[in-house]
Amino acid sequence: MRAWMSRDTGKRGGCRERSFCARVDVDEGMTANSRGTMRKRGRLKFLSWLLPHGILVVFSAVIVLPLLWLLRVALTDKKTAYKIPPEWGQASFDNFVEIFTGYPFFSYFLNSATVALGATVIALPLAVGLAYAFARYNTGGLPLRLFVLSSQMLPPVILVLPLFTLFLKASLINTLPGLILAHMTLSLPFLAWLLVAFFDGEVATLEQAARTDGATRFQALVRITLPVAAPGILAAGLLAFLLSWNEFLYALILSGPHTNTLPVGLSSFQTHRGVDIALLSAATICAILPAMVLLPFLRRYLIKGLSLGALK
Amino acid sequence: MSVATADGLTLAGRDRRFGLLLTAPGLLSLLIVITFPLFFTLYTSVHDYTLLTPNYDTFVGTENYQEALDEEYLPGSLWVTTKFVLASIVIEFIIGFAVALSLHATRRFGSIYYLILLAPLLINPVVVGLLWRMLLHSELGIVNYTIGLVGISPVSWLGDADVAFWTVVLTDIWHQVSFMAILLVAGLAALPREPYEAARMDGASTIRCFIHITLPLMRPVIAVAILLRLIFAIKTFDIIFIMTKGGPGTATDLISYYIYRAAFFGLDVGRASAMAAGLLVIILALTAYLYRYMNSLK
Repeated sequence: MRAWMSRDTGKRGGCRERSFCARVDVDEGMTANSRGTMRKRGRLKFLSWLLPHGILVVFSAVIVLPLLWLLRVALTDKKTAYKIPPEWGQASFDNFVEIFTGYPFFSYFLNSATVALGATVIALPLAVGLAYAFARYNTGGLPLRLFVLSSQMLPPVILVLPLFTLFLKASLINTLPGLILAHMTLSLPFLAWLLVAFFDGEVATLEQAARTDGATRFQALVRITLPVAAPGILAAGLLAFLLSWNEFLYALILSGPHTNTLPVGLSSFQTHRGVDIALLSAATICAILPAMVLLPFLRRYLIKGLSLGALK
Repeated sequence: MSVATADGLTLAGRDRRFGLLLTAPGLLSLLIVITFPLFFTLYTSVHDYTLLTPNYDTFVGTENYQEALDEEYLPGSLWVTTKFVLASIVIEFIIGFAVALSLHATRRFGSIYYLILLAPLLINPVVVGLLWRMLLHSELGIVNYTIGLVGISPVSWLGDADVAFWTVVLTDIWHQVSFMAILLVAGLAALPREPYEAARMDGASTIRCFIHITLPLMRPVIAVAILLRLIFAIKTFDIIFIMTKGGPGTATDLISYYIYRAAFFGLDVGRASAMAAGLLVIILALTAYLYRYMNSLK
């Protein structure tokens, strides 16, 4: 027993003790041997606990630390924010107040919210129709699904050129309705493709039962499927909202001084009066706040949304 | 099976009609907001449309395509894009798989790690670009200060052509590696248990299990994750616009940014449309391949 305990205290001691063990406890050889494998297994178990946690802690730190630094810069006063080596000034919310009072960030926020909400609210019912018809009646078959998927995969730079020339002609440039229309090119195919997954599975069986009981196709959709799929539809809607909340290229080309969205406002903020990192940080914190607040609610649905329904 | 109903349609016919009725508004909208503009791209690409003479008076046939192919810097941009896409996908796959396996193996704090993992995916790409531009500033950035503490001399993260390319790649990885990771985690969670139990009975080591069971079973998920990331990575625009504007020189001039510049700085929308049409063919081919692959799994 003593030998076993001392083995854990140091490598050299352990080695000596092991050879000592092997010589003395001849008839206990089997026991010592199994003790050895047990210890080996214990060490392996510890390693297989440590390694994943180690990887995850390092990974999480790489993600979280830059964001915490952003928060720190946003909370310090303008001069301290630039100090290298860093100094810890007095924390205050002055920067947050200033970006809304001294700069047009309120208008950026309002424009972003209007456009994202508009595009989502218009696209959602259209997408529900498409997705439901795909899931239940296989309308249009594989070609139509491929069409929707390809629409979603299009690089914005391909679409922004014709939208720019068309909007120029239709005087939709620099207008919020124009921007809403442009953002629908993102949200409509995204939602249509994503929602199919919410109409498959259990709800189809429920609906079948209702149909047998004499409900019409429309009643089955409105009274059974939509209420059952509502949480999924809501989550998909929130994801679509964030999709256009974060969109940059369309807004950059198609919006003007009065219709700039938040990402465009942030990207041009750097040039107004040099770079003011404290103010910029405060503004970026505000820009990602909605997404961070929604994150815990969306985590269940995010995987479906990101893999375009390829994974459940 | 055909049962005639009051309006003279079979049940299957009524199903079809109801499906079409539901599809029509959405389909019409897609045709208006996506297909029509796309045809307009093709239309513009065969006309001499510049922002100085914004009209369709001059039909030029394939001239824009010819000019685009003859451009001095286009091959460079295509090469940078290829390097960027390959580098980010390979590194994201390795890191993503390591994180996914770790997350799969831990129970404790699992949901906290998972939430942190998800966070970058919802962050605005413009914010990601601004954040890292601030952190990596050569004199005032915290990164150069921190590596200075351990005796490494300051790096010009965005000023040096070779370094800037990798800075942009790493920034994109910071933003997108979680995508790969959570898709792989979902794949791992769906794996059957029996093969592992059988392998353990036969005394197979963890590494052998990984190579001979995990990797083959994960093949579909890996393929879908990589294909999706491939298509998304080709579209990268925002962080380039924020961090480097394609520079220094043409070190980070990805194709999306190149086309954007041709249209809005070169003012030649016709030629930019010709390049966009080329990019469209590549994206559609990749999407069709992805689609065929996803259907073959069902």
